[in-house]
Amino acid sequence: MIRRGLIIGGGIAGMQAALDIADSGHEAVLVERLPSIGGRMLQLSETFPTLDCAQCILTPRTVEVGHHERIKLLTYSEVEGVTGQVGDFRVRIRRKAAYVDWETCTGCGTCQEKCPWRVPSAFEAGVGKRKVIYTLSPQAVPNKPVIDREHCVYFLRGTCRACEKFCPVGAIDFEQQDTFVEERVGAIVVATGYELFPKERLAEYGLGRIPDVIDGLGFERLLSASGPTKGRVERPSDKAIPKEVVFVQCAGSRDPERGVPYCSKVCCMVTAKHAMLYKHRVPDGQAYVFYIDIRAAGKGYEEFVTRAIEEERVIYLRGKVSKVFQQDGKVMVWGADTLSGVRVEVAADLVVLATAMLPRGDAGELAEELGLTTDGYGFYNEADPNLRPVDTPVPGIFLAGACQGPRDIPETVAQASGAAAKVLALFAN
Amino acid sequence: MKRIGVFICHCGHNIAGTVDVERVTERLRHYPGVAHSADYIYMCSDPGQDLIKEAIREKGLNGVIVAACSPAMHEATFRRAVAASGLNPYQYESANIREQCSWPHEGKGEAATLKAEAIIKATVEKVGRNRPLVPISAPLTRRALVIGGGIAGLQAALDIADAGYPVILVERETALGGHMAQISGTYLNFEGAADLLASRIEQVTHHPHIQALTRAEVEEVSGYIGSFTVEVSTQVDKDTRKQGEEDLSTCLPVSLSTAFTFDVGAIVVATGYELYPKASLAEYGLDRIPDVVDGLEFERMLSPTGPTGGQVRRPSDGRVPREVVFVQCAGSRDPERGVPYCSKVCCMVTAKQAMMYKQQVPDGQAYVFYIDIRSMGKGYDEFVQRAMEEVHVLYLRGKVSRIFQQDGWVVVLGADTLSGMMVEVPADLVVLATAVVPHAGAVDLARKLRIATDEHGFYTEAHPKLRPVESSTAGIFLAGAGQGPKDIPETVAQASGAAAKVLSLFAQEELIHDPLVATVDPDLCSGCGACVEVCPYEAREIHPVWKFAVVKDVLCQGCGACVVACPNKASQMRNSTPIQLMAMMDAIV
Repeated sequence: MIRRGLIIGGGIAGMQAALDIADSGHEAVLVERLPSIGGRMLQLSETFPTLDCAQCILTPRTVEVGHHERIKLLTYSEVEGVTGQVGDFRVRIRRKAAYVDWETCTGCGTCQEKCPWRVPSAFEAGVGKRKVIYTLSPQAVPNKPVIDREHCVYFLRGTCRACEKFCPVGAIDFEQQDTFVEERVGAIVVATGYELFPKERLAEYGLGRIPDVIDGLGFERLLSASGPTKGRVERPSDKAIPKEVVFVQCAGSRDPERGVPYCSKVCCMVTAKHAMLYKHRVPDGQAYVFYIDIRAAGKGYEEFVTRAIEEERVIYLRGKVSKVFQQDGKVMVWGADTLSGVRVEVAADLVVLATAMLPRGDAGELAEELGLTTDGYGFYNEADPNLRPVDTPVPGIFLAGACQGPRDIPETVAQASGAAAKVLALFAN
Repeated sequence: MKRIGVFICHCGHNIAGTVDVERVTERLRHYPGVAHSADYIYMCSDPGQDLIKEAIREKGLNGVIVAACSPAMHEATFRRAVAASGLNPYQYESANIREQCSWPHEGKGEAATLKAEAIIKATVEKVGRNRPLVPISAPLTRRALVIGGGIAGLQAALDIADAGYPVILVERETALGGHMAQISGTYLNFEGAADLLASRIEQVTHHPHIQALTRAEVEEVSGYIGSFTVEVSTQVDKDTRKQGEEDLSTCLPVSLSTAFTFDVGAIVVATGYELYPKASLAEYGLDRIPDVVDGLEFERMLSPTGPTGGQVRRPSDGRVPREVVFVQCAGSRDPERGVPYCSKVCCMVTAKQAMMYKQQVPDGQAYVFYIDIRSMGKGYDEFVQRAMEEVHVLYLRGKVSRIFQQDGWVVVLGADTLSGMMVEVPADLVVLATAVVPHAGAVDLARKLRIATDEHGFYTEAHPKLRPVESSTAGIFLAGAGQGPKDIPETVAQASGAAAKVLSLFAQEELIHDPLVATVDPDLCSGCGACVEVCPYEAREIHPVWKFAVVKDVLCQGCGACVVACPNKASQMRNSTPIQLMAMMDAIV
């Protein structure tokens, strides 16, 4: 029995599992695909139902993980192969070339400042840009940049090297190659999280086609004090402050024809929060929410939605949206209010779609590597839906977070600790 | 005399973009008590930390300040760095010139520079008067108490015991299993809940590390994280039959109460839920009309081990009901008559019950009154779809306004808000999905445990997002519906989560407590008790003999409430004394 745990995914689920394992005296290896840890939660502005700033509650955690003497952090890395079984897995991990020598780099940020190229940032979810050499945030853990080879002008055209010229410690290394490491561990926690429904498949709602139609993570970045607009809510098309905002729930969820049949669980609360935060930023603006059912099932959740409706005067309309199109500088939203039975037409300045949560696109490949099974949508299957919710059918491999199915932060954190408990019990043998 | 080193961080451009760091560094160099002043682009980086270590050695520093980000970010980092150089870590302080200066004052360089300077000077005054502190070490008993023998408590007990630690499991009822033992089948796959549960109970009762006590209740709890003392009382039925005696009528069970005292290091509270009291739902006919039952009663009807052997029958006349109305949100989401919150599980429970009814009575009709259908979980929405489309359960969106008896029927009057019509269903049986409320004894137990509850009586977690299984009191953890309505899978995952926290605690070699706690100057204390009253952690008492306030430093969280409350300035925070704070103020204004 090798008493080390490997955690795949450095979001809030993976961090929690790693901390619980490491705090119990065992070494944890945390593998994260992106250059730094924090996952989706780091993209969020505030969290429901307390409206705590996500970054403020999360960064102490990322720092704790980054400094933990028993957590080995492998960011910008991906699991490529797994052999062995419970007690002794051998995991092959690709450490992607950052083109920056992280040992030498002090994280001073000069390279990012000097890099003359800006590209759309996945982290900013379509509403902001980043440099070609970048970190995900000023508080990134680890605070080390990577070069986006696909967009780097030096890699594309052979000139520029601005980052290299200005780096005070000579850390830029265009010759760097991917490397591989092998970790031997006794247990694995899979915490690969979720992504949002692809924009191009929601063209009917105007997503990716109409600039002022954005998804929920995009709106989070608009709301975020550390986002591209520093928290100013503005329309992507002309930077104007939107006075009429329509939030569309179940965009892709509960929609077997165009999207997925399941409920994404978090969007009702996320939307209520969005509408409320919008009203805080733009008190004279009007927020509309189209919904099928309001699913506010959690501690303080129902009360939160009631507050949005009664105190913040968000208008909730029960019905599906039939059409979203541009007209005279507005985004027209046609829908039905199934309660009054009348058709509703809103000339909106901004439309925010609560798009469906999906497992990560490569969840299937990892499942194959680990011997896990997935449901019809790619979410990992648990060993038993009722009594073994964090176990997988493979001994020694456990699940945490939204890779198993949509869930919100508290449920993710509790479950991640649950997965850690299974690892700890295993290591006690 | 203190020789203080001041290290000012640029944080890339986060600080240096606004604050003139070089100027501040230069100004601080000449400030009284400062022996060394330097700036660096990223103090938290390894080269940055090396600068501190080097200066401590070469300049003989005995106090260190890093002016950078919030202490929440890197206080621990720099305390470690300072300690690595042999300095007492509490001779280190952070001066926050990012979150409290450069970020909010972006674009106002001159003013921000002056403010940064003032913040750092104030911190110099503080560090100049800081005393070396030693972390408080506390005893640790590696045994856990789990309160509640439902599925949450069983799971937590198993996970802790499987890791090798002894567990005492206390259950109020005569048998383990909790509400799950009453349930017919689980939703999604209609698995027999009793069978699933039996294997868990079996594991618990045969586990060498678990001592399960039934008919037992927690009477008193004292102590703190790592060393609680718990008094548990149990009722034991003494069999008075004599050897070989068969006739049960001749013997009377005699109930004996016995009290045990245990020392435990951690406690998991898993006391679960109960349903909204029937008497409070008289408007729905519950407790008044025999053929109106609540969800758990219907579960018993569906259960093969129930009183009807699993056959759905009307309580009034034993007939098979042909028209059954299920009413959701009976008491939930109803601030006037019930509770304002959503009970989370009822939508799925109702869909399952309606489907199980239809399996038994295929030609019967099931109606469900709902406000919103909250089927949010893996496969849950699909399950409800199946109930509607394949099993033909009729869902009506609306509240029920009245339930009354007429000609042998139970008539349900309600509105269908989608068609805008009033609906009247003459039913044989009405099943109310009544609200999930905390266990009646929860508030009393919370008082004994000194943990917080919300306005409904559910235990409050330490942080709603990031610390969902910890209570407000260190060493006491939460599992299951006692914290808030949740279904079986969520309960089981959370119970394992609570177990993980216990295991992390037990893995510590010794318990270390931050020494930044309150102290009492006995010469100034009048023993008035104001501090005892305001202390939210029960970390204070008036000493019975000495008659002045004493601090139980392992319980103290350093919140400072006592400092404010004390009329004599006898209560002080270590390293944040009034003298220090006044000196800091003087440096600023």
